[in-house]
Parts: sequence; C-alpha cells; structure tokens
Amino acid sequence: MLEIKDLKSRIGDTEILRGLSLSVNAGEVHAIMGPNGSGKSTLAQVIAGHESHEVTGGTVTFDGQNLLELEPEERAREGIFLGFQYPVEIPGVNNAYLLKAAVNAKRKHNGLGEVDAFEFLKLAREKMATLDMDPKFLNRGVNEGFSGGEKKRNEILQMAMLEPRLAILDETDSGLDIDALKAVAKGVNALRSPERAIILVTHYQRLLDYVQPDYVHVLSQGEIVRSGDKSLALELEEKGYDWVREAASA
Amino acid sequence: MSTESENLESLVNRRYEHGFVTDIEADSLPPGLNEDVVRAISARKNEPPFMLEWRLQAYRQWLEMKEPTWAHVHYPKIDYNEISYFSAPKSDEDRPKSLDEVDPKLLETYDKLGIPLHERARLAGVAVDAVFDSVSVATTFKEKLSEAGVIFCSFSEAVQDHPDLVQKYLGTVVPRRDNFFAALNAAVFSDGSFVYIPKGVRCPMELSTYFRINAANTGQFERTLIIAEEGSHVSYLEGCTAPMRDENQLHAAVVELVAMKDAEIKYSTVQNWYPGDENGVGGIYNFVTKRGDCRGANSKISWTQVETGSAITWKYPSCLLRGDNSVGEFYSVAVANNMQQADTGTKMIHIGRNTSSTIVSKGISAGRAENAYRGLVKVMPQAHGARNHTQCDSLLIGKECGAHTFPYMEIKNPSARIEHEATTSKISADQLFYCRQRGIAEEDAVNMIVNGFCKEVFKELPMEFAVEAQALLSVSLEGAVG
Amino acid sequence: MKHAALSIDDLRDVVRRLPDNGLTPSREAALAHFHEHGLPTLRDEDWKYTDLSPVVNISNRWLTAGGPQLPHKSLRDTVDAITRSIDAHWLVIANGTVDDQFVNAITHRGIEVSRFSDAPAPFEMQRPLADLNAALLHDGLRLRITGSTDKPVGILVVDRAKSDAGVAQSCVDIQVEPGVSAEFIEYHVSDGDAEHYANSVLSMVVGERASVRHVRIQNRAIRHVQTSRTSVALGKDARLHMASYDLGGALIRNDLDIDLGKPGADVVFDGLYLAGDGQHIDNHTRVDHRVGPATSTQEYRGILNGNCRCVWNGKAIVHRGADGTDANQANHNLLLSEKAEIDAKPELEIYADDVKCSHGTTVGQLDETALFYLRSRGLDKRHATQVLTHAFAADIVLRSPVTAMTETITAIVEKRLAQLIEADFVSDVLS
Repeated sequence: MLEIKDLKSRIGDTEILRGLSLSVNAGEVHAIMGPNGSGKSTLAQVIAGHESHEVTGGTVTFDGQNLLELEPEERAREGIFLGFQYPVEIPGVNNAYLLKAAVNAKRKHNGLGEVDAFEFLKLAREKMATLDMDPKFLNRGVNEGFSGGEKKRNEILQMAMLEPRLAILDETDSGLDIDALKAVAKGVNALRSPERAIILVTHYQRLLDYVQPDYVHVLSQGEIVRSGDKSLALELEEKGYDWVREAASA
Repeated sequence: MSTESENLESLVNRRYEHGFVTDIEADSLPPGLNEDVVRAISARKNEPPFMLEWRLQAYRQWLEMKEPTWAHVHYPKIDYNEISYFSAPKSDEDRPKSLDEVDPKLLETYDKLGIPLHERARLAGVAVDAVFDSVSVATTFKEKLSEAGVIFCSFSEAVQDHPDLVQKYLGTVVPRRDNFFAALNAAVFSDGSFVYIPKGVRCPMELSTYFRINAANTGQFERTLIIAEEGSHVSYLEGCTAPMRDENQLHAAVVELVAMKDAEIKYSTVQNWYPGDENGVGGIYNFVTKRGDCRGANSKISWTQVETGSAITWKYPSCLLRGDNSVGEFYSVAVANNMQQADTGTKMIHIGRNTSSTIVSKGISAGRAENAYRGLVKVMPQAHGARNHTQCDSLLIGKECGAHTFPYMEIKNPSARIEHEATTSKISADQLFYCRQRGIAEEDAVNMIVNGFCKEVFKELPMEFAVEAQALLSVSLEGAVG
Repeated sequence: MKHAALSIDDLRDVVRRLPDNGLTPSREAALAHFHEHGLPTLRDEDWKYTDLSPVVNISNRWLTAGGPQLPHKSLRDTVDAITRSIDAHWLVIANGTVDDQFVNAITHRGIEVSRFSDAPAPFEMQRPLADLNAALLHDGLRLRITGSTDKPVGILVVDRAKSDAGVAQSCVDIQVEPGVSAEFIEYHVSDGDAEHYANSVLSMVVGERASVRHVRIQNRAIRHVQTSRTSVALGKDARLHMASYDLGGALIRNDLDIDLGKPGADVVFDGLYLAGDGQHIDNHTRVDHRVGPATSTQEYRGILNGNCRCVWNGKAIVHRGADGTDANQANHNLLLSEKAEIDAKPELEIYADDVKCSHGTTVGQLDETALFYLRSRGLDKRHATQVLTHAFAADIVLRSPVTAMTETITAIVEKRLAQLIEADFVSDVLS
C-alpha cells in the first residue's frame, strides 16, 4: 500500500530524513519509535504533504501512485489521515462544520453524493459515543479551548468519520491520562481491518499495550536503524534509546 | 515564495465581479460647487424654502471647514470643483409607478449585480427602494407598509410629502457642521431614504436599499433619516456595489437614526463599492457619517456592517446613548485587500443612566492594505451604571499589509464597567495544513477560517444578508492568503 | 487651546547665565531647537489629555526670577534617609545638581561613572521637553556598567522647593555592556510647599545578551510637577524587566520609549499609579518592534480616588518585517470616585503578519461579591475595601524587578493607599 524508498528531506538547511525506506501493507499496524529529533514527526508530515519539508530524494508511493506529486488535500482524499501531535485551534469554525466539509470533500472525490446534515449528525453522534465524547463538542470551535486529551479524542473522531485507508497517528498518546489513552486505543482498534493500514508514531511503548503492532521500527537520525516485532518495543522500553544509537553506530 | 503564498495570491487576484457601466444618459449638473449649484439642486428637487436655507447654511459652514487628516489613510487631494453634484437618470420627470415601467436596462443591471429586484423583493418579503445614481426609481411594497402606517420613501419624496417630519428631525443627530464631509453632504445631498415608524408599530418587513454609483465623475451624497417612534421597531438593510472605473469617486453619505422611548432600530450594511484595482487605481472614497440617537429610555440602536469595498473607507457608525437604559451595538467586519485603506470603528457616548454598549470589530487586512479600527467609548459624569464591552480583532493575511487599533476610552463616572480586548493574529500555515489534511481545498480552508473569525458579526445580520456577506468576503479575499 | 508659551527671552537669559562647564554648545543648540518647536499642546494627539499649562506657569515664574539655583546641600537629611536605608550604589542629583561626593564614592569595578561635563557630547535633536532639559541642564550623569554588580545602582533625584517656584533638570545616560546583568533603582522624591517643576531624562542602552532590572519610583510632593522621558534600546537577546510606581505629584507625565531593534529581545514592564485629589498622572508608553523575534509585555494598573485624572496610552508598533513579534498590553483601572476620570488608549500599529499582539483594558470598581464576602467574614466596609484595593495593587508590587526595593515599595504603596482610602470616597461608591 505505502512504499517509501530512500526518502530524504530537509527543513531549511537541516537534513532530517536521510534515506528512509519503509513498506506498509493493507491490514498491518506499524509502530515507529525513536528518540526526540529522530525524524518521526517529519516522516508523518512528509507523507501528509506538509510544505515546510522539502523532499530532496527518494520516492513515496501509495497504491502505486506517486504521493509526492499530490497536494495535501488530494492525499487526504485518497485516504491518508494524519492525526496531529498538536491539533490546531481554529477559532469560530464549528467542529461539525469542518468535519462535514471534510467528509463531503472525500465523498465527492470518490464520486459519492454529499451526506445530508441529518445523516451526518447521526453518524457523528454514534462515533462520539464509542469514544466517550460529549456530543456538545460538535458545536464548539475546532479544538478551541480543548484540553490536550479532548484534542486527541477529536483527532480520533475525525479519523473514525473519514475512514482512511492509511492512518498515521503522530504521538497521539502523548500527554494523555489513562482513560483518554484507552479511549484513543479503542478508537484505533475499531478501525483495524484488512483493508486498512495504521502507522503509530510514538515515543513510548505505553500505547502499544493497548494497540498491538505487527511491526516496530526504530528511527534514529532520519533512518530506520532497526525493525522487528512488538518485542522490540519492550526491549526498547527496558534498554532505552541509547542502546539503539550504540547499536546503530557500532 | 512558497506554493502556499502563490496560491493565496491567485485567490486574491480574482476580479471584481460587479464592474460594468450601464449606458444610460444622465441628467447631470456641470462639475463645480458654489451657492448657485446648491440652489440649482434644491430647485430641481422643487424643495420648500426651509430646505434651501438649510443647504445654504451648510454650504457656508463647509467653506470654513478643513478636510480632516487624522485618519490613518492617504489619498491625493480632492478638488471639490471637479465633482458634479447632481445626476439622475433621464426619466426623472416621469418616474415609474411600478416595476413594469422601470427601464429594462436598469433592471438588467440589478440582475447582473445579483439583485433581481422583483424576485428578491417577493421571495424575501423585502421592500426595495433602489437608488440608481442619486434618485430613487422604484419602490415596492409601499402599500403594505402604508397599511401599517410606515413611511418608507426616497428623501426627495419625504421633503415633498412630509416636510414637517423632515424639518423636525433633519440634522438633529448629525448637525450640518458636524464634520467636513457631513457639511458637504448637507449642502448638496441628492437623495436617499426616509423611514418613519409610528408609535408602537413593528415594521412588517425588513426595509432595504441598494445604492449604486454610476455616471462618471459624479459624487454621491445620500442622506438617510430613520425615525422610530415610541415602542416601534425597524430593521433596515443597506447594500452597495458599484461599477468599475478609473476615476476616484467621492461618496459622502450621512445617516441619521432617531430611536424614541422603547424603540429599536437595527441598521445593517453590506458595502461593496468598487475598491480600485490591485495597484490602487480607481475606487470609491467612502467618507460616511452615520450616527444613531437613542433619545428615549430603553431604546436600542444596533449597527452591523460588512465593509469589503471602497478604496478608502472613513466611517464610524455611532450611538448617542441618551435615554436611560438605552443600548448601543456595533458589529463590524472590515476587509481591506490590495491597496485598500480602511479607518473605521464607532463611538459610543454614554449619557443616560444604566446605558450599555457592545462593540465587536473584526478587521481583515491582506495585500498591501491598511486597516485601522478607531473607536471611542465615552462615559459622561452623569452616566451612572454605564457598561461597555469591546472586542477588537485583526487578522493579517500577507506581509505587506497593516492592521491598527486606536481605541479611546474616556471614563468620567466611577460606576462604569468598561472592558476592552484586542487581538491580532494571522491565518497560520498550521491551520491551513490541518484543514487541507482533512481534504479541504486551500481556498475553502481560507474562507472557512476567515468566516470563523467573523462569525460573531455575521450572526447579527439578517439571514439573506449573512449569506451574501459570506460570499462577498470570499470574493474580496480571493488570492489574499500567503 | 494653546496654553501660554514659555517666555523664550527669559529662558535664553537663564541658559546663558549657567556656568560654562563645557555644556554651553549643547545648551545653545537645544535652546534653538526648543525655540523652533515649542511645547506640545492639547492639539497634539500625544498630549490630548494633558495640559502643560502648569509647566509653563511654574517655569515662567522661575525664569522671571532669574532661574535661581536652589541649594542642594540642604537636602542632606532626605538623601541620607533614603541612601542609608536602601542598600545600593547611590548616585544623587539634588535640585538639579549632580552630587560629586556620591560620584566619587563609587568604587565598584563594574561601574564607571562620569559627568557630562567630563566629556561633553554634541546635542542630538529630541522632543521638546527633552530639549528644554538639555538647554537648562547643569550637568548630567553618565554610567557604564561593565561587569555584574553586587547590589543595585541607585539614582536618587531629589528636590526641595522652599521659596517660590522652582525648576530642576536631571539627565542620566546608562550603557549596560554586553552580557552584563544589572539592577537599577530610580527614585524621584521631593518636598517643600512651593510649586516645583522637575524635568527628567533617562536613556539606557542594554547591550547584547545583557539583562537589566529597573525599578522607578516617583513619590513627589503633592504640589509638584514632573515630566520625564525614559528611552531604552535593547541589543540582541537582551532582557529588560522594568516597573514604575507613581504615587505623588500634582501633574505627572511619563513617556517611556522602548526600542527593540535587534532580535531576541524580551521586555516586561509594569506600572502602578495611585491618584487622589488634585492629581493628574499620565503614562505614555511606546514599544517599537523593529525586528523579530522579540517579546514585549506591559501591564499598568491604576487606582483613582477623589478629583483626579489619569491617562494611560500604550502604543505598540510592529514595523515591517518584524516577524515573530509577541506584544501584549494590559491596563486595568479602579475608579473609586465620582470626580475621577480615566482616559485609556491602547494602540496597536502592525505592519508585519507573523505576529501575536493583544491588549486588554478594563475600567471598573471593586468586585461587589468579593466585598460582600469579606464583610460576611466580619470586616467592615472600609477594611474590606482596603483589602481588595491592596490586592489590586499587590500584583504589580510583588512583581517588582529589584528585590532590594520590594519592601520599600510595599511600604510606600500601602501608606499611599491608606491615605486614598481614608478619603471620603467610600460612602460615594458603596452607597
């Protein structure tokens, strides 16, 4: 589904990704771990098309299509969802409005008709109930005045509504208390299916207790230095990132 | 330049949609201003002596006044002798009695502007007093209004048919010599609207006027007077749009509102005069004096404006809160793009006891525009229990524009509670990316964010106006984001 | 609207009679510039709410009398009281004269002190009141802080007006060298029954990465008039934390200009003004953000009681290209009397887009719920009022940047507040 080969990127003069390769198939859950500054969030943003990153080499294809040629909104409509580490506040813009606009943009792209307000609200309320979210959230400004946990749940709600084929969750677990973490994990697990792939970008292995990954990759200095199954995450937890760094430089 | 800013620019560079000139022969006075011109205007309108006298006094006072320079705007000196002070469609003598009699070309113009007069009027239940150039050419729903005792007519008609009312209220809110532009207007005003709501009457429909400027070199000097008697209620909508042309055109209107005891006036404006091109060539100078007088206890005057047009806007719709418990409101969205300059805001003068005022101002600057909020909240010594809340936000789009706030608070009573908040921000790249990552096109994302920013003001507009305002906003800002 | 002008012939005579200590050329140049521009009037936007007539009247009377120089030695008791109770490296300007004894007493390695007359500098064009200052200046103080100091540097400006009208100038130039951390106390105090006009100028350059904490107290006699201009320019990554306390004076006008011309600067400045009967206190602040990133945060609070008027005009200008600017202004006022007036004007002029700017202004009274709460706990009205008024002022007092001064400031603020509350306003407001 997602094929990344020798991907290199930079911000300004700083090189971040230095030849990263990764292959993700439908139905798989990949966890990407690594210390701060290793390029985890950069990878997520490059896949989603954030313009502050300049791709200087390599390829990224999504179902054979060159992803790097697409605008961010086109990637989104193709089914790529990025759960933001720091979801943005957009004052005055109704949460429901954004969500409905997003759902309809995607439906239109897929040649489907727009959902009407009634259908949309019904669906949104259902999804919110499974995430233990207060329906009142729909009428608030996008992330406006939300707590950290509320923002992350809101990301999961958007993901649930948009039903992406590839979901990338950038440190969605950071700053969450245990209840919020469980709610988020529940949302992610509900989305697991043979047609869908999920990439979890995380610093800690805590989330992986609740969402079992098929593969774990360790990123260091813009490259994947180690891949394995979920036991790698446990090993990391125990030995710390220095161990990977040493292993990588050795 | 990033792709993002290129996209924004293309958005901004969308053309003004309402730029075309209707080819109608105008019956104009030659350019220039002197007492004879003032007399000629009054004579053509067949005005009673008191009006001529009033105009002449205003003219003489104007001669002694200086054009104000304190606003944060710059423009070449205006030669008042190069302006023609009167123009009317040729059919002035024989004005149409119904829409069928209206020049089809005129109706076509309104259609192009998206103002299908008959349709809109019928569908929306709105009476439209359409001012083409300076003279009213069509008025609808007059019968229904007159049943309720409401007078809604052109100012000229009011001078003929209700001279006592005109004489009683004219200039009592905005005196002749209030300021340079108001004095000029008083001397030469061509026409405008007149509304009188009798005691206890709730106006059965929203009243609406569309103004247009046509005919080259013709200054526009409308004058509107609205009187709401005790316990009455009226909502008045004013919308403008103008054809594209190169000369700068002066528009110096005056609006006076009088609200008696328990009366309420809601005055909404969507202003879309021609703003000039990307290089600041052409465009309207919009120097307007609007003031409401809450004369009676418990009266309320509410101004809502969406200002997207004009090369220069100089406008401070104000409230004199004289009646005890009277309420003044000002909700404003002002957009300045390209080379536009706006200096707009309000004055809330608290005079009576327990008066309150609310100010919500949303300024959007893009391109190389300058956008200033200027406001005064004044609490007089006797104004016990005055309340004001002011929220004044600026949104910046692009690196070459300016956004300024100049609020004045003059508080002379210790029981006043005054709160003023202001913020300035820009549309962040993060907000745009977030929306785009959810599949929303950049242009739509910008509109969404800007509309969110303006939400508090839009919700004050009557429904059909709110829709128009949102559309206007997106047109005005096309290409602006960067 | 124009107030009477300063009598320029008398001014010229007085300037020419000043002892020639090398400052004559700059005095003459300043006089010429002042003559050209005159004093501002109510027609000037920046002086809309403050009438300089008292300055003109006092000055003219003083000039007519030949500009008598008041003796500075007689102030010894006041000087001693302050310099001995607050531990600092003190410098003293008394009745407009730099006290050599204090200049000579500074021995700390990190502090270089000199007089303007030691190395006269050419006159630079300034604003009218600063011109007047330069024209009438006997001598000024020049300070260079080259290394960190063990205790604050104190500048005491003290005047005593015994005879008829008196006029005194003070001027201080401060240079804080790169990387140096310094603390300043600027203390303006006066006594005497006669009318007096003090005009002060202080300019400071804060070097790259330097850090300055500056506290300014104005506690003049109730009939005295003061105008002052403080200009601070910050270097790259420099920090300034400043607080200004205005307690006394009949007519006080402070102009504070902060210039952020280099990236990375961080400025916090607070102000507190307490005004009672007969006082007019006007604070004008201006921050020029010329480049980014840089941060400025200001908060002024005022408590007004009796027949008085305060003005707060905060201006933040974000110049073209100053991206990454974060500018915040806040102004809160407690109006406690029917006769008090506050004119507040928070202005933002912004020419860059990547900025965060905000201002908030409030005018109001004590929170009635809080007042009731305290009374329900047994405090009488007056006491409850006092507690809440103190609480309103306390934030600004406790944030005072120079810890050596916090105690003194607390004491004089409390004393002044007690006087204000003693006034008969309480019944007005609470009835």
